[in-house]
Amino acid sequence: MEENSQGKRVDRRVFLHTGVQLAFVAGLGGLTVLVARRAGGEGYVWQLDPAKCTQCGRCATSCVKTPSAVKCVHVYAMCGYCDLCGGYFVPDTKILDTAAEHQLCPTKAIKRTFIEDPFFQYTIDEDLCIGCGKCVKGCHAFGNGSLQLQVRQNLCDNCNECAVARNCPSGAYTRVPADKPYLLNEPGTGNGPPQKTEV
Amino acid sequence: MMKQRLLIIGALILLLAIIGYMVVDLFFTGRDKRENLYDYRLSELRQTDSTPVAYREILHFTPGLSDLHGIAVDDSDRIYVTGSSSLEIYTPDGNLMLAFSLPDPAYCLTVAPGGDLLLGMEDHLEILSPEGELISRWKPEGEHVFLTSVVTNGKDIFIADAGEKNVSRYNWEGVLLNRIGDKDSLQGIPGWVIPSGYFDLGLGRDDELWVVNPGRHQLEAFRPDGSLISIWGESSMDVEGFCGCCNPTHFALLSDGSFVTGEKGIERVKIYRPSGEFNCLVAAPDQFDEGTRGLDLAVDSKDRILVLDPSRNQVRIFVYKDENDENR
Repeated sequence: MEENSQGKRVDRRVFLHTGVQLAFVAGLGGLTVLVARRAGGEGYVWQLDPAKCTQCGRCATSCVKTPSAVKCVHVYAMCGYCDLCGGYFVPDTKILDTAAEHQLCPTKAIKRTFIEDPFFQYTIDEDLCIGCGKCVKGCHAFGNGSLQLQVRQNLCDNCNECAVARNCPSGAYTRVPADKPYLLNEPGTGNGPPQKTEV
Repeated sequence: MMKQRLLIIGALILLLAIIGYMVVDLFFTGRDKRENLYDYRLSELRQTDSTPVAYREILHFTPGLSDLHGIAVDDSDRIYVTGSSSLEIYTPDGNLMLAFSLPDPAYCLTVAPGGDLLLGMEDHLEILSPEGELISRWKPEGEHVFLTSVVTNGKDIFIADAGEKNVSRYNWEGVLLNRIGDKDSLQGIPGWVIPSGYFDLGLGRDDELWVVNPGRHQLEAFRPDGSLISIWGESSMDVEGFCGCCNPTHFALLSDGSFVTGEKGIERVKIYRPSGEFNCLVAAPDQFDEGTRGLDLAVDSKDRILVLDPSRNQVRIFVYKDENDENR
């Protein structure tokens, strides 16, 4: 027999019974928290908000994956299909052709295809894209902002602490529901006046 | 023996020189000081302009509007500014004279020779009296109308529609008279390339209609019946040309027929001679916030250049630096 703080004697059977009950409740609570956290982790993924992105170039170098899981995505509905594309050509180019020295992309991951005078289509080869965002910055500054960086969920490891998010200077990374994993600017959301134009 | 020793010393000196060159080459030259090699610094592009700026800013004022869209001046040099669902009228010195609210934002405006106001309200045109009373209101043809510019010679009304990608000539009752500038290979008309909501118009000294073809980086002149007069403009990142998807975004005409152009991307205001040759800068990129768009322009009777700066929410007035100007 033992004495509690009030001096009453506690039966050993009651003490053990109470202890088992408390251990069971604590274990159940811990399990619930663990399941909830795990479920939360699987239900959300990392994504970067193009509206906050400053195309600093760190997505290419900070990601634990090589090449980065961040890729350039083309929102065709926003594209002007320009001949002199600010996302494709280096700034001082005089000749608008597909020569490597005229291309802004360091890995030549953008393919330029003639459609009809004077329109050209630009497609991204994601196997070559390293997510540096140079094309995105050029397109945003000189064009409509149709080139945008996104975390490709089929490549992303969805780390608990995303290294790119940690290094992002503009806080553009956020957790989004896994069933809506992409955050893309849509036509009319750029800096210019509202636009209804679609080519 | 002496010769062999000299050879060895010479070889050693050469080897040291090569090693020294390699060390300097590896560790001290050609290193990019940027923290990230993939950082694309547009600010460097903005600093490349060494072209002299021939104008100076003499005045700026902040309208009581947000989201500035359009600017115009009338025959008395009064300044009209539109923004978020209202219109304000200022004296040439920037003092507010009159303000009235509008049912919708007016993205473009012009003042008719008689003083009536023509406002492009996205999908329709409103004609107001000088006191702001509604005279008429009509909608141009098309499902995706987005009016970006309107001008009038008093008889006809010309409208640029970036949504429908056309320029049209209407009478004052809203009856379509003819289209202008649609692609016509036989007449040498290249056709409009409108990648975004920038599509500006202006009337020349002989009432010819000047239109920006922003996707082609050109200005094109037409007679009211739609026949082509001339085309000028070139694509280039250099100061002499226009760059990006859609430049110039806006323009205005000086009394001698020269063109004042406003650009986005590399934000700058420039002047071209009537023949289309680059003349000078009115304002260099470093005089604007990075990312500024929608630099609408107007010119008053004294050839002062009025620049609408939506980023700073200001109307900025520039004048030519004459030879006696101490700031020249």
